Amino acid sequence: MSTGCARPASTRRGEDFAGKEHIRVAVFPIINLSGTPAPLKDLRQLLVEGLTDRGIDLLDEETLQGYMTRHRLRYTGGIDIETARTLKEETGVDAVLITTVELYNYTDPPKISLWSRLVSTGSMPKILWVDGRAMAGNDSPGLLGLGLIDDPRLLLKKTVQSLLDSLSASLANVDQGARSAGKPLQPKVEYRLPVFNPAMKYRVAIVPFYDLSGRKNAGEIMELQFLNAMKRFENFELIEPGIVRAKLLNYRIILWRGVSMANADILFDVLDADLILGGTVYKYDDYQGGYGVPAVEFSALLLDRRSREMVWSSKSINKGDDRVYFFDIGKINTAQKLATEMVSGVMDQMVAK
Amino acid sequence: MENRMIRKMKTIFMKLKTNLAIMGMFTLVIFLTACASFRKADMYRDPNMDFGSIKTVAVLPLANLTRETLAADRVRDVLANSLYATGGVYVVPPGEVARGLSRAGVINFSSPSIEEVKKLGGILSVDAVITGVVKEYGEVRSGSVAANVVSMSLQVVETQTGKVIWAASTTKGGVSAWDRLLGGGGEPADDVTERAVNDLIEKLF
Repeated sequence: MSTGCARPASTRRGEDFAGKEHIRVAVFPIINLSGTPAPLKDLRQLLVEGLTDRGIDLLDEETLQGYMTRHRLRYTGGIDIETARTLKEETGVDAVLITTVELYNYTDPPKISLWSRLVSTGSMPKILWVDGRAMAGNDSPGLLGLGLIDDPRLLLKKTVQSLLDSLSASLANVDQGARSAGKPLQPKVEYRLPVFNPAMKYRVAIVPFYDLSGRKNAGEIMELQFLNAMKRFENFELIEPGIVRAKLLNYRIILWRGVSMANADILFDVLDADLILGGTVYKYDDYQGGYGVPAVEFSALLLDRRSREMVWSSKSINKGDDRVYFFDIGKINTAQKLATEMVSGVMDQMVAK
Repeated sequence: MENRMIRKMKTIFMKLKTNLAIMGMFTLVIFLTACASFRKADMYRDPNMDFGSIKTVAVLPLANLTRETLAADRVRDVLANSLYATGGVYVVPPGEVARGLSRAGVINFSSPSIEEVKKLGGILSVDAVITGVVKEYGEVRSGSVAANVVSMSLQVVETQTGKVIWAASTTKGGVSAWDRLLGGGGEPADDVTERAVNDLIEKLF
């Protein structure tokens, strides 16, 4: 956990549900950012079953489909203010579960990366919980390879279970601590202007990163990475990406090569944000099969509303075997896990004293 | 007889010592001259320019003369971040630079005209723009040995006058004698890029 002055928020995740016996959740259809086919229906079924087993009250399928048809709701990777309000009014749900597939690779050993977040409904949607899980069949080979998983369905089930355990713990207000597979990977270069005080409270809008990688949707994936990392700090109030997306579309803002100050001014105004986080992703590579290493390269920047300046900038480059010295010990098998540690390192530096 | 032998040995030893001293001095002179000429050739600095007056800069997209399609973008990103991280100058965010280039109608980003630089200075409110070329990026081979090399040159152009006030180039990485003797793939391209950029920043400041 960070040594910074910003306080981690992992212990407060469940407080939003305090005083409620049980909340009603709508499970949105899964969004696939992997760029490859994925068993989205099976995944959603696993999510629904897992949530039901954990005693969470779910909105029935028919009502959700009826609502989506009535409102012509096609994008389910986020929720905007209008959708959140009408969903609450018409169906009575308290929150929506938005799930994204980042990677679904069924070749042996299989690899799966998922993101999920719970967003409240009503007039002001708020991110209540966000987490990601990435697993590879060869994460824990064990003695004589007995721990290898070659069945993608089994790995999917394990990944979903792990993700839902995190959600249940959050709903039960149990402190899980910050999830990190290891020591955060620090950025190569970083700098913070003195005008940015990480101890202050900020409302932050995260925009999709400018994507120069060959990986499809890497910009959106990096947005989720930072959402997950920043949610750990209670002084950052994060704006739901669905709201940011809706405003970008409404105001016809195209973020070519990043956020310009002219676009930033509009976004600061319409989102009532203090900071805008964006950047460029150069590499977000997973590998197929048993041999290879994931590689991630990105730069991140923070634009400040008051000073109209870039108050933070960092550059991170890492590979999955950066911490390997012998026998693949310490190897990271998925780009999500690698990027999570890199982003964690960026956040540690961003909020450090 | 013995004394004669000793005297002869002493003479030979003295001659050898003198020869070695002459050779040593000659080598030193060659090395020193080489260093001096190298320094002068790879950097230009306008002697009349007050570099302390440059507080805000824009790093323009670099020209890419390599086979690696993202080489220029990668190098530019490292350069902009490292320059910003010095705390000495404010570097305009890349999105704002892109907007400025579009508004100023700059066609050739790596070598804008004086008028274009002046226009950019007004739009982006910057004191100088940095342009440059990435000449080499990636692996070079020498026999059976391969290593990463990064070669680039930069120019700082003042936006008030459109004059080049600083220019330098650097090459880092490549196959060393050590690599040739013991093999090995050299440093990763990212580390070589960082070294090359830091070298240029050191020259600038």
